[in-house]
Amino acid sequence: MAIMKSEDIMGEPHFDKPRHIKYWTRCLKTLLPHQYTSNESNRMYLAYFIVSALDLLGALDSVLNEDERQGYIDWIYRCQHPNGGFRMWPGTDFGAKANPKNARWDPANIPATYFALATLLILKDDFKRINRRLTLIWLSQMQRSDGSFGETLVSGRVEGGQDPRFGYCATGIRYILRAATEGDLSIDGQVVKDVDLDAFVRCVRVAEAYDGGIADAPFHEPHAGYTFCSLGALAFVDRLNTRGLPTEQPPTAPCHPQSVLSWLVCRQTELADPDAGIDSEFVAAQDTRDTRKKEDGVTSEAQADGTVPAHQDPECSAGVTIFDLLVDGAGMNGRINKVADTCYGFWAGASLHIMQQPNLYHHEAVRRYLLGKTQHPVLGGYGKFPGDLPDLLHSYLGLAALSLAGHDQVKEIDGGMCLSKEARSRLPAIWESFADSR
Amino acid sequence: MGKYADDPAWSDLTPLPTDEGGSHPLAQIAYSADYEETMSYLRALMAANEFSPRALDLTEDLIDMNPAHYTVWLYRAQCLFALNSDLHEELEWLNETALAHQKNYQIWHHRNLVVDKLGECGGETEFVARMFEKDAKNYHVWSYRQWLVKRFDLWEAGELEFTERMLGEDVRNNSAWNHRWFVVNGRAGAAGVGDPEVRAREVGFAEEAIGKVAQNQSPWNYLRGIMRRCGKPLAELKGIAEQYASLDRPDAVRSSFALDLLADILAEEEDGKEQAGRALDLLASRYDPIRKNYWAYRKDQLGLGELKQAVADVA
Repeated sequence: MAIMKSEDIMGEPHFDKPRHIKYWTRCLKTLLPHQYTSNESNRMYLAYFIVSALDLLGALDSVLNEDERQGYIDWIYRCQHPNGGFRMWPGTDFGAKANPKNARWDPANIPATYFALATLLILKDDFKRINRRLTLIWLSQMQRSDGSFGETLVSGRVEGGQDPRFGYCATGIRYILRAATEGDLSIDGQVVKDVDLDAFVRCVRVAEAYDGGIADAPFHEPHAGYTFCSLGALAFVDRLNTRGLPTEQPPTAPCHPQSVLSWLVCRQTELADPDAGIDSEFVAAQDTRDTRKKEDGVTSEAQADGTVPAHQDPECSAGVTIFDLLVDGAGMNGRINKVADTCYGFWAGASLHIMQQPNLYHHEAVRRYLLGKTQHPVLGGYGKFPGDLPDLLHSYLGLAALSLAGHDQVKEIDGGMCLSKEARSRLPAIWESFADSR
Repeated sequence: MGKYADDPAWSDLTPLPTDEGGSHPLAQIAYSADYEETMSYLRALMAANEFSPRALDLTEDLIDMNPAHYTVWLYRAQCLFALNSDLHEELEWLNETALAHQKNYQIWHHRNLVVDKLGECGGETEFVARMFEKDAKNYHVWSYRQWLVKRFDLWEAGELEFTERMLGEDVRNNSAWNHRWFVVNGRAGAAGVGDPEVRAREVGFAEEAIGKVAQNQSPWNYLRGIMRRCGKPLAELKGIAEQYASLDRPDAVRSSFALDLLADILAEEEDGKEQAGRALDLLASRYDPIRKNYWAYRKDQLGLGELKQAVADVA
């Protein structure tokens, strides 16, 4: 019998598009539930999830009238900082009470700025109100001497961890506001220095781990989220090495692209139940084997003789044939030996897209995992794990992952920017308009 | 009307509500009246640059509701240092906060700052152990542990034994494997696995772990990592790979990771490519079908054409 096609087993689970549109429309037009209070200081990225999700669902134009579109754009500009960049929300702006002494508690924020620009792009803003010169000057001050970027600049100090999330957002800001070309710019008669790209590339290189993944810092455990941010940032600045040895003039990364690919494809996993312990089937099987070994007095050499082949031991045979995988699906995890989680379908999947190997993972199995396991049947949206209530982050990244895995009911997404290809295609015209104003 | 508005200790301060500006705020939250009030008083305090015990208390209140607020942490740190507060008390409060908000990273950044200022780390490894009881793979906690080791020179203070204990509890805990790699190789100027004795010890450690659970990627990656760091060929691992995956016994493969390693080793051998192709076929059709496209890609990279059904069909 040949490997069965999924249609022979059963149809792919249904994507309930109207329900997803309803979920996101509610997020846009009514207050978010109080559970989001702990994320108030992340509102700009919640805003981006909401607007971009409706765009991916092709519903933005029908859900928004012109007044609303302009009103939301105005709110984003309300978060623009007078000295360049954006705030996450208006809560740090002291208004009439603002003065040079309390200015340190109201800094612009790197992720807020990337998500504000991305959301403006999706909302078809003309970018005429962006303070491009001050934002790019501020951006160059946000880089540390080791090449990494921070989150905020407070009393002249770059705050926030050494973390590729900031590197991704910083290079994304740079890309939106000046494309990938290198070198200093002259804006409104003032020289605006470029960031140090060589230093940034070195900073990614040293965080490549011994097992092929990329971490946030040297010797930390590699993580699919940080791997995505690092690769995405390298792509933004045109320093990505997708195969073979990296170049030195100019430096590119990662140094070991084949190891990165291998690490990324290994993120796909049939393990889906977080409450079962991380892989209880295997652990249970091991316990049984240990007992059996003692009872039978079988030595480890005898075991090495191949008495218990992987995936053929009755105790650990669950979910390993292609048949099972196609029925149950297989999502992605963020680190080795962890269970699948909706959002890593994007972080790991998009990383493979950025590395120009979009077909190396099993798209159909990812779609089945998302549609059959983490899509919420009543509320719409996606939860983190099967049976979880939906939240904005997982609902957005679930849609994004579904698009990357080739679902035709979601607009084509750009893996590197995490927004629709259609929205990204508006950038060249915006760059043109900057060139005019120079 | 509210916790602060009704308290005479706060009567001198006029709360400063947030101005959303316009009628179309995005991602606005139905937060409680309590949060709204606390936030308005915090804004008034920050606007006045007040560093006082009551400011410290209020930041505690707000952080409990919104730990992601990026400047409240910096403001709190400023208050602590300006008031010369007892930093041990701060750590006790942080313990509770960290246990309540496990995924928040600002808490750990703040802890870093406080412990660095204290200049001593008594009790820290015990607290880290408590966090690991809740989640033995918490990323922030492992990162913090690495910082402690570097900052307080704990390389020889039982850290290797700690990784052994953690792996004794769960041999699949990749965070613990990664920490072991850090302890062995991360010290500035250390030869790490470049030292033949250390290398032998670490190879032995990984092989023993594979003996316990062969279908566990962590120790296989650890072995590959050792070879790469020392510039040794993967061929040195042929023995252990074949112990768990032999092409002579395609029905008895005990680890897909051993088979993957074997494919890499064979591909480097003279006349080994065809055999490497057989290993990749076995992975695709039988031992790791979810990564079929990847195994096909690997085969293509070796110039071996398309996948073949390696054995009688399975389903």
